[in-house]
Amino acid sequence: MSGRILSDRVRRSLKREFSRSLMAKIGLFLVVLMVTMATFAPFLAPHDPTQQGLDESNLPPAGVTQTSEEFRMVDGERTTVTVEREGSLEHPLGTDALGRDLFSRVLFGARTSLMVGLFGTLFAVGTGVSVGLTAGYYGGRTDDVLMRFADIMLAFPALVLAIALVGLLGPLTILIPDPFVQLGLVTGMPANFVFPITLTIVVGVVNWVWFARIARGEALSIRQQEYVKAARSLGASDWTILRQHILPNSLTPIIVLATIQVAAIILLESSLSFLGFSGTSLSWGFDIAQGRQYLGTSWWIASMPGLAIVAAVVGINLLGDWLRDALDPGLEGEHGGGM
Amino acid sequence: MSQYQFLIRRGLQGLLVVWGVVTLVFLLRFMTPGSPVDFVAPLDASPELRAQIARNLGLDQPIYVQYAQYLGGLIQGDMGYSYIRGRPASGIIVSRIPATLELAVAATVVAIICSIPLGVLSATRRHQPTDYAATTFSLVGISTPNFWLGIMLIMVVSVGLGILPTSRRPIGLIPAIELLIFQFETVGIRAWIAHMILPAVTLGTYFTAMIVRLTRSGMLDQLGQPYVEAARAKGLPETLVTYKHALRNTMIPIITVLGLQLGSLIGGAVITEFVFNWPGLGTLIIDAIRVRDWPIIQGALIVIGIGFVVINIVVDALYARLNPRVSLE
Repeated sequence: MSGRILSDRVRRSLKREFSRSLMAKIGLFLVVLMVTMATFAPFLAPHDPTQQGLDESNLPPAGVTQTSEEFRMVDGERTTVTVEREGSLEHPLGTDALGRDLFSRVLFGARTSLMVGLFGTLFAVGTGVSVGLTAGYYGGRTDDVLMRFADIMLAFPALVLAIALVGLLGPLTILIPDPFVQLGLVTGMPANFVFPITLTIVVGVVNWVWFARIARGEALSIRQQEYVKAARSLGASDWTILRQHILPNSLTPIIVLATIQVAAIILLESSLSFLGFSGTSLSWGFDIAQGRQYLGTSWWIASMPGLAIVAAVVGINLLGDWLRDALDPGLEGEHGGGM
Repeated sequence: MSQYQFLIRRGLQGLLVVWGVVTLVFLLRFMTPGSPVDFVAPLDASPELRAQIARNLGLDQPIYVQYAQYLGGLIQGDMGYSYIRGRPASGIIVSRIPATLELAVAATVVAIICSIPLGVLSATRRHQPTDYAATTFSLVGISTPNFWLGIMLIMVVSVGLGILPTSRRPIGLIPAIELLIFQFETVGIRAWIAHMILPAVTLGTYFTAMIVRLTRSGMLDQLGQPYVEAARAKGLPETLVTYKHALRNTMIPIITVLGLQLGSLIGGAVITEFVFNWPGLGTLIIDAIRVRDWPIIQGALIVIGIGFVVINIVVDALYARLNPRVSLE
């Protein structure tokens, strides 16, 4: 098993399941779309997502005409005028209250969601798998202490814990230079990407327990196997056994869970951004919070980023279903938290 | 092991977990940048005034003394005084519990009523339009952030159609029922229901979607089992086979997963409350976090932790009762 993550058998099973399932194809399409959007946002975006223009505020999406009554000062007097706004392809999804282009914001928002989703999951996998393998392999006192700690973590709803941690620790962010802008390939786009560090660590912290439980269970069952005993009698160290025998054999459920967790973490990230705890203003959840004040007049501001979230999470969930069906028919969707 | 022994043992374990939660929540304040005094003292406060405030809040004591004092108070139901409101935190927190409980229970009821029939239909009419509709609904349902769903419902139902209220419910369930019983006045209960519909749907959708998925896959599993064939072979009507035999065995994994997912229910309630300005624990915590009102934050987190532990014990007990094959180990 070592050396190659996916065996030929697994590869064949993945292919067979993929060609059979329309849902897997839709899922892959949505995920590829999201990754493309996130990666090439500076090329695809028609405008700088942070550029404001008050004369272009609250423009409806292309093809939609919106009439509203507004107060204007005409000859020094306050009068009500009927304003008609027409959406155009200049701003395909319309603009927000500050005149920022929503399509561009959705593209850049994909970056935040994807980065937090991936790195948050990696953090959770890293922590959870290390703790779980250690607990399961050594057993005894180590196992007791680690798993009691995991119980305490589980005694807390992930979202509540995340809200408390992010809200209290404060939104620490780092600026990552955008390579395309740095190389001069595009101009007029934000030079940096704001990566919410606290948020990413916190979503990992509240989700590692699921991985720890799975890894522990796998380690417990695998360490009794003949080939592990054989390796040990040949003088292999604990570290070698864990790395070469136990980890590769427990990968399947971990990969399936990790896929589903990316979706859960994206939902978690959007919730925390919605509450204003992320520290970045280029995020789907943040835009929904902004649009919440204009539900009566500009329905598109809150709707568009939400549709993006749903599409992304549906895609990842479909991909997760495909992996689960292909890799391990025995697994059911029991794991994962978040909302 | 008898049921009582089981409950006592789980109760003790739960107590240990609650103690862990209390300790973590207490330590949280010391991990947080900035002193609580910054949020309480006026901006131009002199060092003497700041020292005085710290002394009044008990913050000048060493950490282990503060911890002991906090634990000692907690055992007597004393969670300290709210920094901002100057009233006992426990009173404020307890007054918020009913609203959250009502919301969580209403959402669960909505979810169970809608989901199980839908899941059964989906499984018994596999690869038919009903099945596709239910599968699509459940996929989108588990993928939709509930705060966005709530906002969309407000936009379409309240702002667009102008039928249901969006926020600031005027009355709780118990006062509404009192009004109904003692004064034969239905206005209270009607207002309660009108304010409950959108939040309950918002919170319940994720669970409805999840239970539909579980019911469907569980039923498909069960319907292929030999005992179902046997029930059919002895001439039982299909409805009875489906609902009495197969569904009963499907309920076991559903309850397990629901137990695991209760955390999402509580977490979802927090966000739902925020969207609908619901006077529960969720809005209380979020508001308190913004102003660093530590006694409220700590107290509310502990109450949620305790609630969660209790619900989990109840679910375990229920599980053992439904499935006699599981011993109470």
